[in-house]
Amino acid sequence: MSTATLADTGIIQITKACKACDHCTSVCPTGAVKGLLGQKHSIDYKTCINCGQCLINCPFGAIIDTSSVEQVKQALNDSGKTVIVQEAPAVRVALGEEFGMPVGTNVKGKMHAALRKLGFDKVYDTEFAADLTIMEEGTELIHRVFKLAGVAGYEDRGPLPQFTSCCPAWIKYAEDKYPAILPHLSSAKSPQQMFGAIAKTYAANKQGVNPADMVSVSVMPCTAKKYECDRPEMKASGFQDVDYVITTRELATIIKDAGIDFVNLPDEEADKLIGTSTGAATIFGVTGGVMEAALRTAYEILSGESLNKVEFTAVRGMQPVREATVEIPIKDLGINLPVNVCIVTGTKYVDKVIEDVLAGRSKYHFIEVMNCPGGCINGGGQPIRHEMY
Amino acid sequence: MSIFKEKSVFTRRQFLIGSGMLAATVVITGIFAKLGFDAYAVSDDYIEKRAAGLYNLDEKMAIRKSHENSEILQIYKDFLSPGEVSPVSEKAHHLLHTKYGKEIPAMIEELHAHQHDAA
Repeated sequence: MSTATLADTGIIQITKACKACDHCTSVCPTGAVKGLLGQKHSIDYKTCINCGQCLINCPFGAIIDTSSVEQVKQALNDSGKTVIVQEAPAVRVALGEEFGMPVGTNVKGKMHAALRKLGFDKVYDTEFAADLTIMEEGTELIHRVFKLAGVAGYEDRGPLPQFTSCCPAWIKYAEDKYPAILPHLSSAKSPQQMFGAIAKTYAANKQGVNPADMVSVSVMPCTAKKYECDRPEMKASGFQDVDYVITTRELATIIKDAGIDFVNLPDEEADKLIGTSTGAATIFGVTGGVMEAALRTAYEILSGESLNKVEFTAVRGMQPVREATVEIPIKDLGINLPVNVCIVTGTKYVDKVIEDVLAGRSKYHFIEVMNCPGGCINGGGQPIRHEMY
Repeated sequence: MSIFKEKSVFTRRQFLIGSGMLAATVVITGIFAKLGFDAYAVSDDYIEKRAAGLYNLDEKMAIRKSHENSEILQIYKDFLSPGEVSPVSEKAHHLLHTKYGKEIPAMIEELHAHQHDAA
């Protein structure tokens, strides 16, 4: 019954162009790059978490990721298929770099227009699913807090602190190295996989499309998302929920191959139904963003009050490990709860946080972990900053 | 000929090769340590700019809280928890939640059973 999948073989390969310089070894968060300085390197797929940090930081462009670009092009040319697409928040502030635009330019509208020109039947948005993630993961957190407070009816909920579960590299790291921490992970799927499960059920039904004829494509700043969509359990719709993942770099290549004048495209909106999103979803792409989005919703739901200021700047920043305390009035319990949160960006910094939780020393309620330094904006699928070398 | 064999641990040739490799390793490591340091200094700059891009976009969005997204309210009312907005409903649990590690094989069995029920 078992067939080889990306989950077994890994996403990242080191090619013969490797100059054995050891730079990848220094950026790899798990020590999965094997080979001494001077020896051509290779990857140990047992410990590799597919994050692609080695790839975007290789001075010689010697590291590559598996590609589904040809399959996506074939699907677009197949009139019998309904091809839909989702794009992660971090893609829209990096895609422009591949077309000579300044770093950080927001090309959300041009990105939607380009995808429509490429022939995608529906151009939706991962951000919709990021909002859905907040609803599910935020509610799960509230239930775990109720359990801790001894509220009846929540006895079977998971333990605190709750860890975020959006980052597939972090998930694999936890599964590989810290199985004991898994009950602390939110059971909520990542936005990409929530989107996939919704697309082939709810959206297929509303569009009047047979889900068997639907091809679900995802544009991600991330190489680990290619692994995530291929995990054998990601078939809640009865089909593979997300068929193909392409990176920001690969989307740029497809747009260039099609001869589209990207810079001069008009701005277009995503399609309705599962394409509308909020600012809370947009900031998922930066470290601390999932935490901030969750706090905006958890605060209003628990307190029954409307926030005057939606920004929680205490959780922002670029330090690898940050913490903050947010006082939330819980209307139903009649108490003020100081919620302790922690944000980790860079898997190599998470060990101590996990060990404190396992030893019962942790004071946190909610912990966000993103593998890449800075969050998804610096993911392994993003444009490579060639001027660095 | 063995009477001419040197008694030291290394031959002269081995010593020269060894010290040459050692010197090269020190120099190359030094160069890449420096390069790595510089690369990070630049990399922070572009990470900050992409982050600023997302925070600016957030400020421009008409709605900035997930629970106020009209399509989110609609998908709960129409599909996930018919008639109400109630996250972690049974349907949401099936479609939007997952398991990890050694619980996955049982979850896959459950998915298959669910498909047979649906069929």
